[in-house]
Amino acid sequence: MTDKKINFKIKRQDKPGLPSYWQNFQVPYKPFANIISCLMEIQRNPTTKAGITVAPVTWDCNCLEEVCGSCTMVINGKVRQACTALVDNLEQPIALEPMSKFPVVRDLQVNRSRMFENLKKVKAWIDIDGSHDIGEGAIMPDSDRAKRYVMSECMTCGCCLEACPQFSLNNSFMGAATFNQVRLFNLHPAGSMNKEERLDAVMGEGGITDCGNAQVCVEVCPKNIPLTESIADIGRQTSWQFIKNLLVK
Amino acid sequence: MIKPAKDEIHYILLKLHSLTGIVPVGAFLVIHLSINSLRTVGVWPFQLAIDALNNLPFLILIEIGFIYIPLLFHSLMGFYIIHVGKTNMFRYRYQRNWLYTMQRLTGAITFLFLIYHMGTTVGAKLWEGKHQFEAAPFLIDILNGEFQTWQGILVYTIGIFSATFHFSNGVWGFCVSWGILIGKNAQRNGAIVFAAMGIGLTFLGLATVLEFNMNPIPVEATVAG
Repeated sequence: MTDKKINFKIKRQDKPGLPSYWQNFQVPYKPFANIISCLMEIQRNPTTKAGITVAPVTWDCNCLEEVCGSCTMVINGKVRQACTALVDNLEQPIALEPMSKFPVVRDLQVNRSRMFENLKKVKAWIDIDGSHDIGEGAIMPDSDRAKRYVMSECMTCGCCLEACPQFSLNNSFMGAATFNQVRLFNLHPAGSMNKEERLDAVMGEGGITDCGNAQVCVEVCPKNIPLTESIADIGRQTSWQFIKNLLVK
Repeated sequence: MIKPAKDEIHYILLKLHSLTGIVPVGAFLVIHLSINSLRTVGVWPFQLAIDALNNLPFLILIEIGFIYIPLLFHSLMGFYIIHVGKTNMFRYRYQRNWLYTMQRLTGAITFLFLIYHMGTTVGAKLWEGKHQFEAAPFLIDILNGEFQTWQGILVYTIGIFSATFHFSNGVWGFCVSWGILIGKNAQRNGAIVFAAMGIGLTFLGLATVLEFNMNPIPVEATVAG
């Protein structure tokens, strides 16, 4: 047994709207520990470094293999998933904060429903069922399939939005994740039937024109989605749509 | 005519901001620096160019319609854009994020520089009522004086650098926003081309400053005949 410890500095908040505060924790060192396993340790023994017993730290997690996005938080100043943040690779004390661009529910839990609302606004789906049989879908070229596969890996974690200088708690910017979904579904032969509705939805306040091309989104995306390509492509699609609206409608 | 919705206005205003940065504001910058660089060849070609411009028909309307209004629109929208974003370049240290902040900073600096620059040149010209052939000797006299102090040279160097940086990085931003450069490679290659263009424009501007500093030659008004 080793008595090596892992030091944590955790930003806590008891309820939405209440002020946040920092607490220090120490957990026994285990090789290959990730942030989630350390948080579980704190949950079992919620005592601060100073020896005061406090309410356990709350957090969200689910898949533990970086595909669900629910454990996204700010670790040592950078947004990422807690499950794949290995303690051995982090500088101590490890600072854990909830994402700053979403309303805090409690401690490290945030409410990301804004992302889901945006997906609804842009109709990030393909209509297949009607009251009648609409037949088989059109064939998709394999090159499009390959492009769409990468884009479809988005897990709505919110990293791209947390790191975006244009996205904030009090504006309506949709952000990279949403624009990527517009491109994903517009590229689908059946999805393209609702192309114009999706483009119209991103051609207003908070839409594609509010992107500042800081391109941090693509740097922090854990799934390596070519978000800036998606943004530029939606820029092209909306530009044509605008000219079309101007001349045709 | 159908009244446009709030969202449509937002889209149009931001697209126009992007477009006015290229034409006419950016195009004006390129023409301005190019014509000014005639000064490095000699003071006569420079005076000839100023004479030609100051004898354009409807000059004040051209200036208001193609320079002042688009420039003011681009600036006001620019300050709105600065207000909307919040830089995080020290937290997320990536090159593009740094350029994002620089784009906003140089835009604001260029705006301040233009207030000074227009005040000492075109503002003074209009105030003193120096038109047509009288403009060139008047302006050249002012510029000869401005470039004799290190403060003057510093202000112009910062102003020229801010303007050329803002323009060349802005052309890149335009190409991405309008979906002209989409792929990662295309965006990177475009950035290299526009950076080269920016360096060229900066060189033109600074060479002109240096020429004015070294050879402050006064001129007489051209006599039309």
